[in-house]
Amino acid sequence: MAKLCMGLFSGSLDKLTAAGVILSGAAADDMDVEVFVLLQGARAFIKGNEDKIDNLAEASHLKDEFISSLERIKVSTWYEFFEMAKDLTNVKIYICSLAGKIWGGEKLEDFNDLVDDICGIGEYLTSAEEADIHMFI
Amino acid sequence: MTQEELNNLTVNKSVDARGTACPGPLLEAKKSIGTIASGEIMEVLSADEGTKRDIPKWANKKGNEYLGTVEESGYFKIYLKKG
Repeated sequence: MAKLCMGLFSGSLDKLTAAGVILSGAAADDMDVEVFVLLQGARAFIKGNEDKIDNLAEASHLKDEFISSLERIKVSTWYEFFEMAKDLTNVKIYICSLAGKIWGGEKLEDFNDLVDDICGIGEYLTSAEEADIHMFI
Repeated sequence: MTQEELNNLTVNKSVDARGTACPGPLLEAKKSIGTIASGEIMEVLSADEGTKRDIPKWANKKGNEYLGTVEESGYFKIYLKKG
């Protein structure tokens, strides 16, 4: 079974949505997936923050158009994409311990239900080394 | 298969994913293919253009057989046989 390793640095709505779509494709393909959430990304995974993410990494002046288009064409939220992927295949989500601390998350219970554990950078690099596909978002 | 042959297939499972954009139809196909037996036929209804290439490639990669696509007004039907 192919393995996908994703470094998720971004915590913006557009890139989280992109990551969710890619995870969905990986789930359809029965891939083993490991997501390592780094720096800005960790803020989105703090418990209670999932609905508060509304900034865009690209073309921020088109935020309203982007959000209304997602609703019009019935695109799932980034959180729903992650949930669906976890339901369908083996997806593990790890928060970089440094990133968690930056946003006030020290322990696993500080993060939402998507998160499987807190890890260090060494595990991310080992995962990337072993993976068939490595993405950095 | 010809369009006529596709239209005359006995479908064991029909998945209507016309209300969703990519990756919705692919996910619906993935969820539903597990509910039919080997050799049975599934059709996926979609209005998302990307699905026309996505689902056949996915199906063949996963050991299923892509039988063909039928165009309808405003949507299309993709036929798969489970491997």
